Amino acid sequence: MTKYILTRTLRSLLTVAIVFVTVFMLLRLMPLSGYFPQEILKETDEATRMTYLRNQGLLDHPFVQLWRFVKNLFQGDLGRSLTVYPKVPIITLLKEKIPVTAAFGFASMVIGIVLGISLGLVMVRFKNNWGDRLGTFFILIVRAVPSIIYLFFIQVWISKWFDLPLVFYKDRPESWVLPTICLSLGSIAYYALWLRRFMVDEENKDYVKFAMVKGLPKRVVWKKHVFKNAVIPLVIYLPSDLLFIISGSLVIESLYAIPGTGGLLTTAIKSQDNNLVQVIVLMYAVLSVIGVFLGDLLVAFVDPRIKLTEGE
Amino acid sequence: MEVKTNEAKRPAAALNPLKFRAAIYNNMDSEDIGFSNYSYWKSTLRTFFKNKAVVALVALVTGMIVMSFMYPIFSTVDPNKVSMLPLEWNLRPSAEHWFGTDTLGRDIWARAWYGCRNSFLLGFCIACSDVGFGMIAGALWGYNKKIDPFMIELYNIMTNIPSTVYMVLLAYIMNTSYITLFVSMASRGWIVEARFFRNRILSIRDSEYNIASQCLGTPMRRIATRNIIPHIVSLIIMEAALCIPYSIGSEVFMGFVGVGMPVDAITLGNIVNQGRASFTLHPYQMLLPTVILCTITVAFYVIGNKFADASDPRNHV
Amino acid sequence: MKTALNGHTTPLILSAKNVEVKFNLRGKTLTAVRGASLDLYKGETLAIVGESGCGKSVFTKSFIGMLDKNGYISGGSITYDGEDMAKYTTEQEWLKVRGKKIAMVFQDPMTSLNPVRTIGEQITEVITWHFGTEHEQAKREAIELLKRVGIADAEYRYKQYPNEFSGGMRQRVVIATAIACRPEILICDEPTTALDVTVQAQIIRLIKELQKELDMTVVYITHDLGVVASVADWVGVMYAGQIIEYGTVHEIFKQPAHPYTKALLMSLPQLGVKGNDLYSIKGAPPNLFKKIEGDAFAPRNPEAMEIDFEQEPPRFDITPTHWAKTWLLHPYAEIYRKELDSAEHKRKISATKPEKPFGYKNAEKLLQVKNLSVNFKLGGKEFKAVDSVSFDIYKGETLSLVGESGSGKTTIGRAIMRIYNSNVSGSITYKDENIVEKMSKNETKKLHMEMQMIFQDPMASLNERAKVDYIISEGLYNYHLFDSEADRMHKVEEIMQEVGLPKEFSSRFPHEFSGGQRQRIGIARSLVMNPEFVVADEPISALDVSIRAQVINLLNKLKRERGLTYLFIAHDLSVVRFISDRIAVINKGRIVELAECEELFANPLHPYTKALLSAVPYPDPDVERSKKLLTYDRAMHNYTKDKPLWTEIKEGHFVLANQAEISIYRTEMEK
Repeated sequence: MTKYILTRTLRSLLTVAIVFVTVFMLLRLMPLSGYFPQEILKETDEATRMTYLRNQGLLDHPFVQLWRFVKNLFQGDLGRSLTVYPKVPIITLLKEKIPVTAAFGFASMVIGIVLGISLGLVMVRFKNNWGDRLGTFFILIVRAVPSIIYLFFIQVWISKWFDLPLVFYKDRPESWVLPTICLSLGSIAYYALWLRRFMVDEENKDYVKFAMVKGLPKRVVWKKHVFKNAVIPLVIYLPSDLLFIISGSLVIESLYAIPGTGGLLTTAIKSQDNNLVQVIVLMYAVLSVIGVFLGDLLVAFVDPRIKLTEGE
Repeated sequence: MEVKTNEAKRPAAALNPLKFRAAIYNNMDSEDIGFSNYSYWKSTLRTFFKNKAVVALVALVTGMIVMSFMYPIFSTVDPNKVSMLPLEWNLRPSAEHWFGTDTLGRDIWARAWYGCRNSFLLGFCIACSDVGFGMIAGALWGYNKKIDPFMIELYNIMTNIPSTVYMVLLAYIMNTSYITLFVSMASRGWIVEARFFRNRILSIRDSEYNIASQCLGTPMRRIATRNIIPHIVSLIIMEAALCIPYSIGSEVFMGFVGVGMPVDAITLGNIVNQGRASFTLHPYQMLLPTVILCTITVAFYVIGNKFADASDPRNHV
Repeated sequence: MKTALNGHTTPLILSAKNVEVKFNLRGKTLTAVRGASLDLYKGETLAIVGESGCGKSVFTKSFIGMLDKNGYISGGSITYDGEDMAKYTTEQEWLKVRGKKIAMVFQDPMTSLNPVRTIGEQITEVITWHFGTEHEQAKREAIELLKRVGIADAEYRYKQYPNEFSGGMRQRVVIATAIACRPEILICDEPTTALDVTVQAQIIRLIKELQKELDMTVVYITHDLGVVASVADWVGVMYAGQIIEYGTVHEIFKQPAHPYTKALLMSLPQLGVKGNDLYSIKGAPPNLFKKIEGDAFAPRNPEAMEIDFEQEPPRFDITPTHWAKTWLLHPYAEIYRKELDSAEHKRKISATKPEKPFGYKNAEKLLQVKNLSVNFKLGGKEFKAVDSVSFDIYKGETLSLVGESGSGKTTIGRAIMRIYNSNVSGSITYKDENIVEKMSKNETKKLHMEMQMIFQDPMASLNERAKVDYIISEGLYNYHLFDSEADRMHKVEEIMQEVGLPKEFSSRFPHEFSGGQRQRIGIARSLVMNPEFVVADEPISALDVSIRAQVINLLNKLKRERGLTYLFIAHDLSVVRFISDRIAVINKGRIVELAECEELFANPLHPYTKALLSAVPYPDPDVERSKKLLTYDRAMHNYTKDKPLWTEIKEGHFVLANQAEISIYRTEMEK
């Protein structure tokens, strides 16, 4: 067990390192002119720009820059933003933004699990009936229509119908409703789809029939036997749900002008703020790797069939 | 054998004693147990097309593909023609401009079909490369134990990063162009497909009928064409069909984030994203292309899934 | 209502009359049970025998309302406790009976327990649900039950999950769950088919004991006549959805009346004479989608009468306790019956000369296996599937490799076929050539043409996407063993004829062939290249009883005609005894004993061999009821200092034993 966790941690660290180094190096390949907004590019001459870059350390060999970044990283210094918030330490930015994204992410994850499982149960309960069809339609829309499109219409129309604010205000809780729901739509569809599929699969297994033969009523069999078996494999999907929500936050935070890290990444990319981009990517990579790792641990915890041993 | 016969109940019809003699035995009858000459592909297609909605969707998608490729050939309307006359800007749909014109006076109907064609092309290219490379890599992966740990690690690394972050990042690092879009999507998609095909190929490799072929000394080439490919063709079709809505959706997403196609390129993503900007004033500019876009993605999604159902022998009627 | 005249001494508790069960399948209606009748009396054991698809399982499932969703009782009545259960429609009604009065044990213990709940929970929930017992009390009862079914350390085991139990243990847990409410009737649906022979015997014994203790009526559903002989008081033979013969176990085994029952019994390898063909039932069971006219068995019965094809036979009582549904019992058929009896008598006399044993004196060694080990990695751990095994195979003999599941017997077969390209150590010499090492293309080609394999599962071993024609000619294509397309077609037709399949079948896909037919296609595929040596990996264990004899005969015929050498891998000793010249017994990756067939059955030495032999069910109620069961435990051996060696204890009789054991065996032999 300990050995497993240890090796898994090492491998996760390695994954993060590989991802980060690749991203870091790739970012150094970008044209230098990108470090300057259009206006500054017009106003300044080559020499001043080079001096600026040299002062920022951006002209050093990429490995030197990497080394410097890593060294600073261990001292809690993530570098400074270049263009989005010039010269502001990134750590300060993150301190401000992470709580927002984390709050939204956590809330929508909970909503996603609760609503997704409920929808899945409704679909199984009313299999081949209205509940099932409605759920299937919902899943179809969420999975087949590009997310931007339905997210956009939700923002425009739903906010109008329910008289909700179009964008996020820190002090108006009703403005948090739509983004949270939007962020959880993908997970709701995901959980509902798989729960329904797993439960239908489990239904025909021998142990379910045997439980019925024991004389337990169907309701009890579903609650005590089928549901538990169908939910366990869903746990494996928790990490990918996390990835889902991260992906969603990129769009939703910019749509609703939420001052979180997802919106920050899109802004940073649009204004080529390499220092910011690399830190956010590093953060997301760490987060995803931890998510997958925790997911595996969780599965081993809830499923008695799985034992944690090195190898598989 | 001594048997006392006490007849329990006499059947109503009178029995003919002459019938109590040996009948002619027919070997063929005893061997033949009611065949319907089953063929996997016939049954799959029959099950697939039994669903009327599927027939309609297939017809619709075929129509749209034909239309999007024919339109640019026969149409005289230049989708990029910017009008200098403000009078021709933001026109509502009319007989002349079926979908109206956009903020620069460009005909949205024409742009939609050009966009469709480009999006289809992109989708097909992604589908081909993802499924094609995925299948080849999957086959090598399944058949080669040595590269297994490496591939698993690569798979973990690549799928541990959210796909959107990955694509946005790659598109950001390279310049925006069709190639960029293609590379950023294709460079990740193949490994997901590879893993999928690897698992299927592994199970085929270890199945008894394949081991039987090995015992017969069947060369690799014939194992591939006879034992493996016929069993994964349906998966290839399904995966390719599902690739298309995914790639079209990704293009729209990248356009939104600002790393999609250059502004002057006509893709559904660009049209929709440009329409979004003027949505409050001129909703039709976004709505109509969106309908086309969603029809395509939903249709391919449904077709892919229904085909997957139909290709499962358990669902054959 | 029947009286004591019918041979039953206890009260009638359940009576099923003319039950008809239909299924809606793919828009068609399948009649799985076509008017079957059955009476159950308290405390008795009834066995329902029949091959797969005859409706035996469906019939009994209708007693507890457990038909699949698309199935329904479309006629007849099932009277239990004064109520007609065939008319039950709601779950509520069934819950009064299910589990509490009538319980059931399924075939596969690996799947009938919920993998994510502890076995304790799964037993207590029945008790608490049916009797409203307090949890603590129910837990105590559950632990008692576990102890009763022979699970050691029950308090600790109570908290474990099913995956921590072996197959036999799980079946014990399943039985404990089923008897938790002390039901009146226990239905056992092939309770031992998925288990190894030695475990099977223990489970059967357990059920017998419990039946006496609880005074239960037990219904066995099985295809294994050996099991029937050992457990049943009464036997019902089922064919194509009907009970066609019913009687006491002695009547059924000693004086069968229906041609199907007779054929089933005659086709058993235990009753065959070595070197002669077994009696075999042709064809395959009927398709229940089609309307069946007359006697359902008639198309497969070469001795059927014309009336069998036209009218369904009624029930004829032979003795008060024995009846059958066959026109043969009609007075009009008397002359024909006599004709048949004398023909059968002649057949029996002509087939009493057993073949003379294989002569090993001048035999030439075809294949030598020396210190063969095969290692696999599983979950990061390496384990030895086969542990330094040595044996020789002589040209023209059949060597059988017998062992339980997981003993490594299949692995040995596959290692010889060079299916594992790594993990194998030791040497396998085929015609003076070590085939474990890398070989040139030409050598491999030659080897492939001389060595072939027949597979266990006919459902998995044929490529579903290829036509029979291609499947059979695959080997021909590989080595271009034909001059022209016509020549190839000719060769395919020839081999199909040889395995008894009409040549018209060659353009069909394997999908809708029956198991036996598919197995024959598989045999045709391996034999079309004229191999000298064939590894047959459990070729009949996945087949129905009525089909087995066909395949055994075919294998024997091919051996005679083509001078084949077989390595026959099996777990069923009765088949092995009929087919093989020598037998090797394998346990946990090591061969423990090897001897000529009759020598092994006469003088088994190794305790594992003894246990295995004692566990094999024999289809004769008298023999079955007087036999003693031996058990084997690895802990019997003390191998810490005195290591076991592969020793030839008598000419041709090898055993794995250490010095101390060898001397014991020697004295045993002398007796």
